[in-house]
Amino acid sequence: MKLEGEHVFNGPQADVWEMFYDPNVLASALPGTQSLTMIGKNEYEGKMFVRVGPVSGVFDGKLLISNEVPPESCTLTVDGKGAPGFVKGSGDVKFVAQADGTTLMKYEGEVQLGGTLASVGQRMIDSVAKSMIRQAFESLDKALQERIAARAEGRAAEYKPPSEAEFAAAVAKDMGKSVLQSQEARVIMYVVLALLIMGIIAYILSNLPK
Amino acid sequence: MSYKIIGQRITRNEDAQLLSGSALFLDDVHLPGMLHAAFLRSDYAHARIKSIDTSAAKQRSGVVAVYTAEDFGDYWHVGPLQVPPPLAIAGAKFNARPLPPIAKDKVRFSGEPLAVVIAESRYIAEDALADIIVDLEPLPAVTDLEKALQPDSPLVHEDLGTNLAADVQQEHGNYAEAAAKADVIIKRRFYIDRGASGAMENRGFIVDWDEKTQTMTCWSNCQAPIPLRNTIAANLGLAASQVRLITPFVGGGFGPKIMTSQADDVLLPWISMKLKRPIKWVEDRRENFLATTSERDQIHDVEIALTKDGRILGLKDVFYHNTGAYDPYGMTVPLNTQTHTTGSYDIPNFYTRVIMVFTNKMVVTPVRGAGRMYGVYVMERMIDIAAKELNIDPVELRLKNMIQPNQYPYKTGIIGQDFVENVLDSGNYPATLKKAVEIIGYEKFIKEEQPRLRAEGKKVGIGVVCFVEGTAVGPYEGARVNVDGSGKVTVVTGVSTQGQGHFTSFAQLAAEQLGVSVKDVRVITGDTGHFHWGAGTFASRGATVAGNAIYSAATKVRNKALQIASSVLEAPVEELELADGVVRIADVPNKFITLGELAMRANPTRGTIDPNMEPGLEATAFYGPPHGATGQGAVAMIVEVDPETYLVKIKRFVIAHDCGTVINPLILDGQIMGGVSMGIGNAFYERMVYDENGQLLNASLMDYLLPVSTDMPPKMELAYFSTPSPLNQLGAKGIGEAGAIPTPAAFASAVENALKDAGIEILESPLDPCRLWQLVQQKQ
Repeated sequence: MKLEGEHVFNGPQADVWEMFYDPNVLASALPGTQSLTMIGKNEYEGKMFVRVGPVSGVFDGKLLISNEVPPESCTLTVDGKGAPGFVKGSGDVKFVAQADGTTLMKYEGEVQLGGTLASVGQRMIDSVAKSMIRQAFESLDKALQERIAARAEGRAAEYKPPSEAEFAAAVAKDMGKSVLQSQEARVIMYVVLALLIMGIIAYILSNLPK
Repeated sequence: MSYKIIGQRITRNEDAQLLSGSALFLDDVHLPGMLHAAFLRSDYAHARIKSIDTSAAKQRSGVVAVYTAEDFGDYWHVGPLQVPPPLAIAGAKFNARPLPPIAKDKVRFSGEPLAVVIAESRYIAEDALADIIVDLEPLPAVTDLEKALQPDSPLVHEDLGTNLAADVQQEHGNYAEAAAKADVIIKRRFYIDRGASGAMENRGFIVDWDEKTQTMTCWSNCQAPIPLRNTIAANLGLAASQVRLITPFVGGGFGPKIMTSQADDVLLPWISMKLKRPIKWVEDRRENFLATTSERDQIHDVEIALTKDGRILGLKDVFYHNTGAYDPYGMTVPLNTQTHTTGSYDIPNFYTRVIMVFTNKMVVTPVRGAGRMYGVYVMERMIDIAAKELNIDPVELRLKNMIQPNQYPYKTGIIGQDFVENVLDSGNYPATLKKAVEIIGYEKFIKEEQPRLRAEGKKVGIGVVCFVEGTAVGPYEGARVNVDGSGKVTVVTGVSTQGQGHFTSFAQLAAEQLGVSVKDVRVITGDTGHFHWGAGTFASRGATVAGNAIYSAATKVRNKALQIASSVLEAPVEELELADGVVRIADVPNKFITLGELAMRANPTRGTIDPNMEPGLEATAFYGPPHGATGQGAVAMIVEVDPETYLVKIKRFVIAHDCGTVINPLILDGQIMGGVSMGIGNAFYERMVYDENGQLLNASLMDYLLPVSTDMPPKMELAYFSTPSPLNQLGAKGIGEAGAIPTPAAFASAVENALKDAGIEILESPLDPCRLWQLVQQKQ
């Protein structure tokens, strides 16, 4: 299946990038990310717990970054598998500075799902994915505003991520809503996006000043 | 011939046990020390196996053993083919790729087994599956029938160099010549898909190797117990007499349970011998979707050649058939399509070609209807389309081209699943069609009711179709009938029972000859410990093929009882009668001897017997038909399509059919209704949805829709004809699949008629509300 989407971060590109440099922010924006380890240049391994309806389990993911054009774009290739099945995909991510001072993040790619995730989780994937992505961006938006405000006030940013329980509750709420309005939105895959974002973290970590 | 007990509408002997929950099903079998198996199945539809690490799984507490293909050493083997290749058909090309029990080197469909865990409980076994580390290198999958044959397609079997599984052409007459003479030639392409069997009870297998007696007892819910027993023994190098296979009560077969030589029945017997412990495996529902065979898509390119006045001169059908990743069941399904396409019609020129294709999907084997439905769908839709084109009433067009009662035996010239020419043995085809049309009030509906209802804004439509059902194929079945000292009758036969009512209909056959109550006849089916000759329950053959064997054996026992009674009662055989469990002198009813006493006399414990006499009131008989007996029928249905939701409500459903001699009309009604419900599922609900990577996307009953009681018509209107088949002494024909075969075609016809304002043409099956809406939108 194809996946694509975009999100506008209400802040300048530099701040967005800076936020993405803080792995604590990103990791906590997507509960379930258990680890992320660099195993080679532009190559990472991570673990993530995923739940899609009745299908749940830990995915072991591998991630490869290529075509990097700092700080504008890169291509991420993910290959995750675990008891619930597998996910395979690749996508292009772009960060575009906009005239009004905001930053547009665009992503598009192609993904394959397999195993129980595909055969039983299929009916839930769409709504779970949309909800989790929406929330992830919401968390990142808050984090970004807090960072900008803290800098203006000359204090350290305080960022409190939502707990896993809050996260799950919000997903359930969104799924209830999406029963009424699920048709129009694009099919977006939470797992791959999560891995994409892990990739971004990894990418940034690898580019941190040594 | 008039019967006393055959033909009686009586309730079933087995129902008290089934309805009170006291019947034994496979999962009710619990043996001391029993272990449990779980299979690790591939998530990928197509991949190379690089490594499988089972070490962590083996260390889990409660796990007894874990095996992969490598661990079975020389025991690992593919196949055998369940059905031989179609060598009887000239020029037939068939690439045999039987099923491996467990994947080695490569997986070819999602769900193919990779490893098996044996543990103290199923819970532990399932948990241990997650401990197994599998390294698979994914390969591009092929799922599309036409793309699979393109030169750049990924190959399911690389060694073949092609995804072509078979290519079989058959011709009766000469289509090209017919087309040259035709006034009208109509061409259409059809896309027809079918689904899973959806049996309430999933597949299962239990095996117990007893080291002390050197015997193996297996419980299986398969449809072919004797061939399975023979294969298990042969695989293990045992004498067949060392293996007993029992089929207990089975919660529905519908075809896929005929498929054996799979992971469970090949691997678990070997493991049971190694571990010297009994092992049980029962599928869960998701596993059933992935691991049990089903039916799938065909694409038909069809041409029909007619005269202006509606005489069909010829039909040409070139179709692709999806066999899935392997072809262990040969060509039964597409050959059934070929023999059922021209159906009830006298079409002098018929060309049919099947191109069978390997894809990365689950293996295809028969599901109730078994390929027949596709042929009927294509023919009936083409007649509807031709009727519109020629402006002839579709019922009239059918009657005009129908095989007439004086044309039997009607040789079709097409070789079928039993590798002999399909010959339609008997019937009165126009009569069933006329009857269905009469019951539904066809004329009145189209002239009065439909215009009135349509004026009220109701989208109502009518569809009328005909069908044939080739049944009761060979090779043979057998039975042994015995009367013991208690006067009770026991019938044993090799076929197994999945809910067809054999415990009653078979009892009726014996009771008819032996003059006992149906309730006093004990029927044992599908237990090789009792009877080990036969092929199995498939192709609607049980009642006819096993039934005739039972009837013959009972006749032999009757004759023996009469002979012994004749000497005891000192009266000639002609003056005796069997009734109420005794043999008596018809004119002197108080002079009698009970069957039980005769049985004792036939089996003395001292003294001497006539050297030519076999002991006991017992006889064995076999029956093998020269070719199958063909049932026929017609369906008329009225539907209403909701103009907002495009949901379809079946308002009336009439089926008039002819299956020869009826053994029990009540069981017959049930068979028809069950078949119709499956047909409704095939028409509007059921479909295995695969994505382009070979992932099955609806492997649960949340997403795979089975028809429910509210999807059935409010009332089933049934009419029977009984033209006896000349092929067997009972005059019987099968009926088990009849309801499933015509229903999708009738449904499409009725829905198209209901939506005639939209001008759509339905060329596909199954339909669903969304698809109907799309078809209407595309037309606007």
